[in-house]
Amino acid sequence: MPKVYRLYNDVGDLFTLAVETKGDKYEIKTESNTYEVEFKGRGTKEWESIVMVNGRPRRVEVDQGYIIIDGSEVFRIDRLSEEAPKEGAALEELLKGKEGEVVSPLQGRVVQIRVKEGDAVNKGQPLLSIEAMKSETVISAPKAGIVKKVNVKPGQGVRKGDVLLIIE
Amino acid sequence: MPPFGKVLVANRGEIAVRVMKAMKEMGIKTVAVYSEADKYALHVKYADEAYYIGPAPAIQSYLNIDAIVDAALKAHADAVHPGYGFLSENADFAEAVEKAGLTFIGPSAEVMNKIKSKLDGKRYAKMAGVPISPGSDGPVESLDEALKIAERIGYPIMVKAAFGGGGTGITKVNSPEELQEVWERNKRLAQQAFGKSDLYIEKAAVEPRHIEFQLIGDRYGNYVVAWERECTIQRRNQKLIEEAPSVTLSMEERRSMFEPIIKFGQLMGYFTLGTFETVFSDKTREFYFLELNKRLQVEHTVTELIFRIDLVKLQTRLAAGEHLPFTQEELDKRYRGHAIQYRINAEDPLNNFTGSSGFITYYREPSGPGVRVDTGYVEGNWVPPYYDSLIAKLIVYAENRAEAIRVGLRALNDYKIGGVKTIIDLHKWISMDEDFQKGKFTTAYIAEKTPQFLRDLKRWEEERAAIALVAYNKGLLKKRVEAQAGGKGVENAWKTQGKLMQMAPRVMW
Repeated sequence: MPKVYRLYNDVGDLFTLAVETKGDKYEIKTESNTYEVEFKGRGTKEWESIVMVNGRPRRVEVDQGYIIIDGSEVFRIDRLSEEAPKEGAALEELLKGKEGEVVSPLQGRVVQIRVKEGDAVNKGQPLLSIEAMKSETVISAPKAGIVKKVNVKPGQGVRKGDVLLIIE
Repeated sequence: MPPFGKVLVANRGEIAVRVMKAMKEMGIKTVAVYSEADKYALHVKYADEAYYIGPAPAIQSYLNIDAIVDAALKAHADAVHPGYGFLSENADFAEAVEKAGLTFIGPSAEVMNKIKSKLDGKRYAKMAGVPISPGSDGPVESLDEALKIAERIGYPIMVKAAFGGGGTGITKVNSPEELQEVWERNKRLAQQAFGKSDLYIEKAAVEPRHIEFQLIGDRYGNYVVAWERECTIQRRNQKLIEEAPSVTLSMEERRSMFEPIIKFGQLMGYFTLGTFETVFSDKTREFYFLELNKRLQVEHTVTELIFRIDLVKLQTRLAAGEHLPFTQEELDKRYRGHAIQYRINAEDPLNNFTGSSGFITYYREPSGPGVRVDTGYVEGNWVPPYYDSLIAKLIVYAENRAEAIRVGLRALNDYKIGGVKTIIDLHKWISMDEDFQKGKFTTAYIAEKTPQFLRDLKRWEEERAAIALVAYNKGLLKKRVEAQAGGKGVENAWKTQGKLMQMAPRVMW
């Protein structure tokens, strides 16, 4: 059974990855793609490593906490957590079922919550506002559905990536 | 002799910095203005002086005429450069600046008042013999009239707000049913957005390209046209990539536009820089006049590169009353090569180009042969959500278009920004796309290619996440962080430096 990771980058994107490891070989699955990543060890330069991705070599360096790939792409892990394995849950569901989770795109303070548990919401409907740096950011519903759970209270501080509420 | 002693730049971001650079080169002192959100912005740091003009929302700061004129007087500036956007085409602002006894670097309020709406522009175009698309001659009063005109010119048509701008207030309509649906809504939206609800109708061009001509004039009736810029790669009427010259025009087609455009300028008594926006169809080989932009354009850079002129310096000199330094013939001879500008916007192309605000936590800018970067931000800066999303402009230049695209791709690969989402990946994708490379595109390019680039960009992102996960798993991140902090015993860098200095053999000067 593969391990399922939830990975947030520095700009608030969530990646749900199912990983199966065999030594230095990793099979990483997302909802629609599979990546065969093999760690090959040191590259030709100081602090450089080589990984093969689907048979293609990629150079990996780290600078100021950012991962630099082939000297031309940047990526930063903001948060990484392992998903607790669920009995009987299919892998596909684990990879998919997260779209109803509304996560905070930034660090701040919840100022207003416009919906309560049990409310029906339309796609794009404003759900709550988060205040950061004197400006208010309105978080809208990513999909239509019923608000299943509200995890935050007005005035509460939230971190980037925190699950604010769940829509089903 | 510099044309002015001190110039206030009434703008922010990359354009404010770019204008200040020209001023500094001319020996002119520079004055910045800034809102609450821009206290630590690059344009403020770069200026010789800076004045606070109000809270973050533009309406209270960069659109606040009184505050800006006040700052100009306080700083004893001789002239004001408006940049683009904000107050650049506001006749009231130009008038307020002139009344305060300063020079407005741009057309006078009198000239601006001659073209208040897009319809006035069309009227002048008709007089000058600039081709205009068939449609209504003035604002259309009622839906019935609109339906009649649409019937006469044939669908598809464009319904436009007469006082609209910046690519807003334009809707394409394919049938009478749609027109009925759109009419009242657009009238209401135009009233809300532009304060006037006048709408007019134009025939929509077939497979249109967006091509604009650069008009340059002095106060003495001399004019040249610095060829064209092609700005066809757009999303929702906002330009993403601009280039000069256009890949599709022949020299004859280009030249056929010079005379009517110069006539237009003469009729209006226009001076300094102006841009003629037109649509051009590959099928019919015809131009249709859209509007005249009475300001420096975002994409002025590509014209600068192919003619090796500095348009901001030229604009400033012309505003000070100097003569146009070259004739059309001399300018034509200066042309060389091909230039492309990529707008580096803080936007998420995977999420319908929504803006991405935040701190820029990683920033590496490209440089080298054929590369120019006009930026308004450095590492550690905050991209505020109040203004447009343009972080910087990457402009590349080479001998020909194919080579320019190769330079562009190299520079885009060298451009690394972290902390906010950008459209750099999308630019890479477009630069590798065969249709773009062959110059086969219309203004619908982005819309048509969306499914393809969404799929690819998403895969690129996921692959990065997969690699990052492996790098994390292998402890690469931790190792490097320790190394960058100087191993285990983290010591004050000044102390280390001091010790090294003590130990090193010293040369006594």
